[in-house]
Amino acid sequence: MKNRLKVLRAMHGWSQQDLAERLEVSRQSVNAIETGRYDPSLPLAFRIADVFALKIEEIFERD
Amino acid sequence: MTRQQDLPLYRNPRLWIGLLMGSIATIVALKLSGAIDSTTGLILMCGAAGLMIPLYRSKLVLMRARNAVSIAAANYTLGMMAAAAAYLLGLGIAITLHRNYELTPFVRLALALLPALPIFGMIAVMARYLRDESDEYLRHRMIMASLGGLAAVLGIGSFWGFLETFELVPHARGWWSVPIWALGVGLTRLWLHARDARPGE
Repeated sequence: MKNRLKVLRAMHGWSQQDLAERLEVSRQSVNAIETGRYDPSLPLAFRIADVFALKIEEIFERD
Repeated sequence: MTRQQDLPLYRNPRLWIGLLMGSIATIVALKLSGAIDSTTGLILMCGAAGLMIPLYRSKLVLMRARNAVSIAAANYTLGMMAAAAAYLLGLGIAITLHRNYELTPFVRLALALLPALPIFGMIAVMARYLRDESDEYLRHRMIMASLGGLAAVLGIGSFWGFLETFELVPHARGWWSVPIWALGVGLTRLWLHARDARPGE
């Protein structure tokens, strides 16, 4: 699954740690999702969407 | 982010890991060379296991500095260290008593259980971590590490067994499964850690 996490994070001027704190996960989690090594669960994907005030499909897309 | 090299030496987990590994290697070398007997080796090994306390404390300080500590992770580290120390201690006591005393079968049975029980403790610590860790990616990493340990035990154990069947290698005792499992878990965690350390910012 592809995602726009890195771009969205840069737009907000957040570091991985900043985003991790907003999501209440570890920085490693953000890094793994951003680099496509880990696909988040649906609840976490919803949290990510909430943080950026976007829909899930505006952040994640199929390969 | 706080880097390990920025910490004072006594707060750096690498110092304590190095000292622990160095101590164990030295004790094993002294024992293998015949410079010390089993009892001395056991006492020295218990002393070396005491290095796990400052290692745990320094690791906790580092995780707090990185704002990366979770209660589940701290409990896991502490629990694993306690179980590993109990395993080493139990192993040492069992071997020393077995070598130096005439023991009844019942006592020998109890001695065999001494190092075996902490292994269940290690599994319980892992299970508790998986239950308590709220970060799903860290849970995923732990599951991968457990699978790495399982693969090492089953793969190496089966391969060695067949080599034994074909009379190519000597018999290996069953207790080797724990160090091999720990090696599998450790190497997998190391690999995952190195992969996650790649810059992504």
